[in-house]
Amino acid sequence: MNKPLEKPITQVTKPITQGCSIHLDEVCLEIEGKQVVNKLSLSTTIKRLGVIGRNGSGKSTLSRLLSGLIETSSGHIEVAGINPFKDRKGALREIGLLFQNPEHQIIFPTVIEEIAFGLRQQGQNKKTAEQNALQVLASFGKEHWQNVHTSALSQGQKHLVCLMAVMAMKPNLIILDEPFAGLDIPTKKQLRRYLDKFSGSLIHISHDPEDLNGYEQLLWLEGGEVAALGRYEEVLPRYLNEMDTLGDSDDISDLAS
Amino acid sequence: MISLTSPVETRAHQWPAGLKLGLLCFVTGLLFITDHLIFHSVFLLAIVVLYALPGRAFFKSGWQHLKILWPFVLIVVLWHLWTDELQRGSIIAFRMMSTVALANLVTMTTRLSDMIDVVHFLAKPLYRSGLNGRALELAIALVIRMTPVLVSKGQNLTWAWRARSTRHSGWRIILPFTVLALDDADHVAEALRARGGLINPEK
Amino acid sequence: MEKNIAYTALFAALIAALGLVPQITLAFGVPITAQSLGIMLCGTILGSKRGGLAVLLFLLLIAMGLPLLSGGRGGLGLFVSATSGFLIGWPVAAFVTGLIVEKWRSASITLVASIASIIGGIIVLYAFGIVGMSIVLDKTLPEATALMLVFIPGDIIKAVIAGFLTAAIAKARPASLLSRSAKAA
Repeated sequence: MNKPLEKPITQVTKPITQGCSIHLDEVCLEIEGKQVVNKLSLSTTIKRLGVIGRNGSGKSTLSRLLSGLIETSSGHIEVAGINPFKDRKGALREIGLLFQNPEHQIIFPTVIEEIAFGLRQQGQNKKTAEQNALQVLASFGKEHWQNVHTSALSQGQKHLVCLMAVMAMKPNLIILDEPFAGLDIPTKKQLRRYLDKFSGSLIHISHDPEDLNGYEQLLWLEGGEVAALGRYEEVLPRYLNEMDTLGDSDDISDLAS
Repeated sequence: MISLTSPVETRAHQWPAGLKLGLLCFVTGLLFITDHLIFHSVFLLAIVVLYALPGRAFFKSGWQHLKILWPFVLIVVLWHLWTDELQRGSIIAFRMMSTVALANLVTMTTRLSDMIDVVHFLAKPLYRSGLNGRALELAIALVIRMTPVLVSKGQNLTWAWRARSTRHSGWRIILPFTVLALDDADHVAEALRARGGLINPEK
Repeated sequence: MEKNIAYTALFAALIAALGLVPQITLAFGVPITAQSLGIMLCGTILGSKRGGLAVLLFLLLIAMGLPLLSGGRGGLGLFVSATSGFLIGWPVAAFVTGLIVEKWRSASITLVASIASIIGGIIVLYAFGIVGMSIVLDKTLPEATALMLVFIPGDIIKAVIAGFLTAAIAKARPASLLSRSAKAA
């Protein structure tokens, strides 16, 4: 079970660049009797934020809360100046979400349809959406993908299509929920290059700190609470240390209460 | 997956499922042959009493399941008010409520495992003509296992839609959903084969 | 053999899931659930035998007391209620739908699947449903038909959607379209 951790750092020492602001104030989320997020409070404005933690620490849930897909049980959330759950139109404008498994994210049979979808939902008519989708494909050098069937793509290619579909909507913030899970090393490297092109803010959730190399700030979640929030160089060693220690334990045997 | 068996223990929980089901068929048949308003009124009352006996929780839960009948009760009552045959209409309505309530009572007092045993018992004659008993057992277990898995995948797909749209997802989600189910079917088939397949040593 | 069991069971689970994921409705203003669409797809994708069996399996589990009908309903009460005819007709509908898709190969799959869904999923199904309703509500067949007429337009739309979905599945997973593959193991 949870060991008591050192007092969490919740202050950013120096804001590095202006980015998207997120404010969480005593956010709680209860799912089927279980306290998944427990009085989570954090306030930060950052271009590149990494979120780390063990599986089950609440990272995915946080991504759904930040993108407004689920509602808090209590507490206050503000992302990019809006309440993403209540203001869905604003959320669609400002925030993009990349899910962990592209199989659960790709809805349409062809690449062009998948990318144009978000644009049509934003109000563009069919022709405009298609043109803009083609432009997005072109900016990634993938015009030849437009009529490819999504089910014919490789794992990494599917991830890329999802990324393009989200970026096409031109959000200011993209939240990525373990986007590189299960990919091989070259694919990860290539996808990371595409990701780095994004000029807006990123919140990147991963349980593998390698993915977050170069991110200014790290948020470490543990049991639905903030274990630490601070600079990459400060939080990462503590995180790795803790993970190592936990690896020596046998908490895999513990059943959920 | 939680079945509709009531957690409130009653004496009926201990009775053999086959007996309850047989009685249910018999009584339901009886209800359909009888045409007396008094009989149906008394019978319905008796069933309400049966529901009330195990306590408030049981009664409330039973009521939840019967509430869904209301549109049909309404149709019958209005129809027969219109044709001035309220007595006939009451018989129909009472009979419908009684049969559904009685059948629901059996569901609430019979455990899933007991039901599965009855199914196997009834399927015995089919085994001789080729139905694989192990296959049936496996199929039942698979549906119970995979329904929550598919539900959560469906939930993820609706979220993926809502992340890019303020509109209702509607039927478009069903395509990727079905593809996921087909892929799961392939994986499950593979897993079955890898664990020995359907060789049937017991029968 | 394993493939048969897996496909049958997974489609039974899919029918259940279509009724249990709250947001999957064919809302044209009215929340019509997608479960009956799932019945049509059992026929058009799995074919007559496996499709019929999948729906039969689904009904068996409901009868045993699992809350798999849309909205979390289940239990034996459903089989004596006014709509019980429809429940009993479901596996037959899937079977007939599947049979048409298997035999009629000369037209586009979209057309075949849509028409098969109309014949199986509406004409055959409503026959069962109307008979059942006339028994329980003690009405004549024409009277029971009149009560059900209002649902038919919605179901026709469902059948057309089933046609398009089947065609899309045929493209995405041609090997899984058991209704059109050679006799599978």
